[in-house]
Amino acid sequence: MIAAKTQNAVNFTEVFSTRTGAVYQCDRERCWYIDFAGKLVKFDYRGLMKLKTSIYRVNIEALLLDNSKSPEIEMVFICACNHCYFLNLLQIIALKELLEGTFVMLELNQIIHDRLSRIVI
Amino acid sequence: MKDIMRIKSLLSTDIEALLNQQIKKEAHSSALYLAMASWCNQNGFDYSSDYFSKQSDEERYHQLKLFKYVLDMGGSAISPEVSGIKHDYTSLREVFEDALEQEVAITQSFKNIAANCMKEQDFVTFEFLNWFMKEQREEEYKARRALELFEVIGEEGTGLWEIDKHVNKIKYDSEAAE
Repeated sequence: MIAAKTQNAVNFTEVFSTRTGAVYQCDRERCWYIDFAGKLVKFDYRGLMKLKTSIYRVNIEALLLDNSKSPEIEMVFICACNHCYFLNLLQIIALKELLEGTFVMLELNQIIHDRLSRIVI
Repeated sequence: MKDIMRIKSLLSTDIEALLNQQIKKEAHSSALYLAMASWCNQNGFDYSSDYFSKQSDEERYHQLKLFKYVLDMGGSAISPEVSGIKHDYTSLREVFEDALEQEVAITQSFKNIAANCMKEQDFVTFEFLNWFMKEQREEEYKARRALELFEVIGEEGTGLWEIDKHVNKIKYDSEAAE
């Protein structure tokens, strides 16, 4: 499934990928595509920041220690985005890992731009 | 690969989070001063009540100034929830002691943001913070002077009445604060 989705994304620049998913940037549309949990979803800047906030806010430790028989499913719904994620605990950990890596790479990209193309002589 | 993050916002995630925390602190301060104004009014200290009402307005103004800056720079400003406001005081002196303590905490908070701006070389936000640094000089001065009235005038006899009358006359006229 992931491979099929990835093929659609060959025109994009890969920002970061793990065994469970990948994030691509589309310069022309100024947005990101997240290939995760069997679907490819487009996020603009605000959407990506909101996704980051909602995933980072999940208390993974509390879910791990939860003894109740409730299913470990979290629904991640981003306002003004047509998609939502239904994720189990392992998927939340995986998506968090994917986003953490993505933001490190985006920060690195900013440092490279600052050093190479924004030099004031 | 384009640097979309920088194109969209001048603020880093960390600085934006710190500024949003500060917005919350200013909102908390404003609510706290309003509670102090309420206590003073209920206990017959009309001038002190006016003083704290004005302070509350000022804190609200600071909150909006920070709010606008975050939005202007492309960030996401968050309207904060405010809870846990203290309404009960045992004396007028305690009210002014808490007011000074609050200002000291706010100053510390701004120093922390400025330190982080320096670390990140975010000189744009650093320069914006200068206005608040100057403002804190005045805020701390006024709170400290108000508390000193309790020593200078004394609380005995009509002392509290005198203190209340003098609170509104405290002015900070350093040219640097203009």
